[in-house]
Amino acid sequence: MLFIHQYACISAQDSFPEVNLDAVIAPVDGKLFAREPAYDGIPKGTLRRMSKPVRMAIGAASVLLKTSGRLDGIIGATANAGMDDCFRFLQQIIQYEEGLLTPGNFVQSTPNAMPAQVSMMTQNHGYNMTHVHLGLAFENALIDASMLVDEHPGSKYLLGTVDDISAYNYNINRLGGWYKALNSHGDFYNAGTTGSIPGEGAAMFIVSSEKSGSIAGITAAETLHTEDAALVVDRLQTFLSLHLPNEVPDLLLSGENGDQQLLPFYEGCEQLLPPGTGVLRYKHLTGEFPTANALGLWFGCYILQHQRFPAHMVKVEPGVEKLRHILIYNNFKGLQHSFILLSGS
Amino acid sequence: MSRIFVTGMGVISALGNSVSENREALKAGKCGITPMELIDSRFAGKLPCGEIKLSTPELARSLNAAQPGLTRTALLALHAFNQAVASAGLSPETLSYPSTVFINGTTVGGMCLTDELYHDAEAKENGSEYLAAYDYASIALYLQQKFSLSGLVNTVNTACSSSANAIMLGARLLQSGRAKRAIVGGVDCLAKFTINGFNALHILSSDICQPFDEARKGLNLGEGAAFLVLEKEEDSIDKEKLAELTGFFNTNDAYHPSSLSENGEGPFLAMQEALASANLRPADIDFINAHGTATENNDAVESKAMLRLFDSPPKFASTKSNIGHTLGAAGAIEAVFSILNLQHQELYPSLNCENGIESTGLMPVVEYTQQPLRHIMSNSFGFGGNCSSLIFSKV
Repeated sequence: MLFIHQYACISAQDSFPEVNLDAVIAPVDGKLFAREPAYDGIPKGTLRRMSKPVRMAIGAASVLLKTSGRLDGIIGATANAGMDDCFRFLQQIIQYEEGLLTPGNFVQSTPNAMPAQVSMMTQNHGYNMTHVHLGLAFENALIDASMLVDEHPGSKYLLGTVDDISAYNYNINRLGGWYKALNSHGDFYNAGTTGSIPGEGAAMFIVSSEKSGSIAGITAAETLHTEDAALVVDRLQTFLSLHLPNEVPDLLLSGENGDQQLLPFYEGCEQLLPPGTGVLRYKHLTGEFPTANALGLWFGCYILQHQRFPAHMVKVEPGVEKLRHILIYNNFKGLQHSFILLSGS
Repeated sequence: MSRIFVTGMGVISALGNSVSENREALKAGKCGITPMELIDSRFAGKLPCGEIKLSTPELARSLNAAQPGLTRTALLALHAFNQAVASAGLSPETLSYPSTVFINGTTVGGMCLTDELYHDAEAKENGSEYLAAYDYASIALYLQQKFSLSGLVNTVNTACSSSANAIMLGARLLQSGRAKRAIVGGVDCLAKFTINGFNALHILSSDICQPFDEARKGLNLGEGAAFLVLEKEEDSIDKEKLAELTGFFNTNDAYHPSSLSENGEGPFLAMQEALASANLRPADIDFINAHGTATENNDAVESKAMLRLFDSPPKFASTKSNIGHTLGAAGAIEAVFSILNLQHQELYPSLNCENGIESTGLMPVVEYTQQPLRHIMSNSFGFGGNCSSLIFSKV
């Protein structure tokens, strides 16, 4: 079992370094940009050379690394990190007609920059991996980490995700019809239209096989590719009967994102759960992006640790006082689905 | 821990469109690196590349892949995937089981479409047919949908070690009980993006590359795809086994974003720990399919790491002298070549090395030879300090 010992995230809300979820920060120009901190821990010269996703990822990781002790490796997940540099390099190619180009953007366009940078900063020769499977990059990284702690009892890893809104991915997703223009979180779930709001952020976790001192544990995580909502519900039923056989989740943390097309998936999962199961939502806070569900896990950890959540997250009030088991269901673009079962330690 | 066997494989490279074509070309010491023809680029007609001389429409026709929005990367992947699955005898039904997992390693993904991508990322309206194709995941998602894969599907990008890491991940998914069969490997194709990137870094050679030669001047890019089918011993009792995957390890050099440390700590650790995971001693390794990119940095550092680990380094070669550096596909293609070495108990010549690196005194294998081979190591190192070594053993 994978236990979470520390967690941090930089998001569009006040989540870093202090957490205040009571006041919702609304989108600007239809985008939920991350509220980046001053990054006091990173030398100014280093900071200037970092792209935004690397900066957010390293910024969020740094606070955990101060107290984490020696790590056995770094597991990253991203769909878009490096895309901004990629696009800048494409611009150079076109503008200078494949002439003399500067390689900086090319080198920085590699999506494995975050795990690579952390390993360099901390002289970590351990396991180093970058999962880039779009809307399941984070879940695949989580499954990788779960296998690692099973393979190496006593081991400890940094598991981290980052994605940013770049001109590149914003335009491509907008042309694909995945965004709508909203400037208020009040309309987020009820606009009755397709598309969501783009978001960005970095989430970092220190995970290990040790229960002692942990905040929460992940009993199971499963992924699925399908466009069939009935199949998702089917697989969820099997997932719960296998991994939570004699109990029910107290809470569904839902990745609902305001896109009408995707609602049947989320409603199908809600209807499978018995009455009294609470339903909370978080995408009005984070916006939608491929690794947004890592922020979902961050919310899950926060809720289990503090046993509280702001009212604006509630879709259905949970029936129990003490929250122990949280089911996180997310889907990306109606194709990439994941179930994560999170329990308080 | 269960033993992991390779029960199928498929490959396409500048040497040929099938496993047997690749083997014949390797035996003959053929070099598939020729002036690039198929990309509309100022380097066309000049830059030596390991190019597959089938245009993208020709590839699509040969594969009956007619849907819009397919990239060259996706087509090369489909070609090698089809072969691997056929060679392992996996039925369409078996492919669709939740116990069948698929992991693709790629660094270019759909970015081979440099000009289309630029247009779409700048555009205010009228997106192209490729909007969903630019992502790294687009290839695995295409194959997932085409073959109704319902098990775990993943894409990894650790630069030039991507597909070696895909192979490792697949083996670990099998050992953890999360899968019964894993289709693993990678794909990359030539692209304006990578050609200009490596050119800007001044590590592209304008001549045909010379891995491990004192006078080496840099790498040639290549393209291709390869996939292996991995199964556990207990799930492959009645099946033909091509090789056993006995060891693997992934580490980070923790030194520099685009070059290896002088002492080769990352390569050294990857090789050392892969041996440990296989319960083998250095002397057990009969041959190394080296990363051998023919850059000044890589070949010197990889040689140094081999000298550190082995009292007397085993025979080694770089098949990048045949097909160029296929980036995210390299680890998987070189795994196929290593398995061919084992299956046929033969070594293929490393090309274009006349004088070994002076400071190391090491020379790669330069002639075709037949000899007993039990364990072969395959190295892959990538930007960001990613270093991975795999060990395949004779069955």
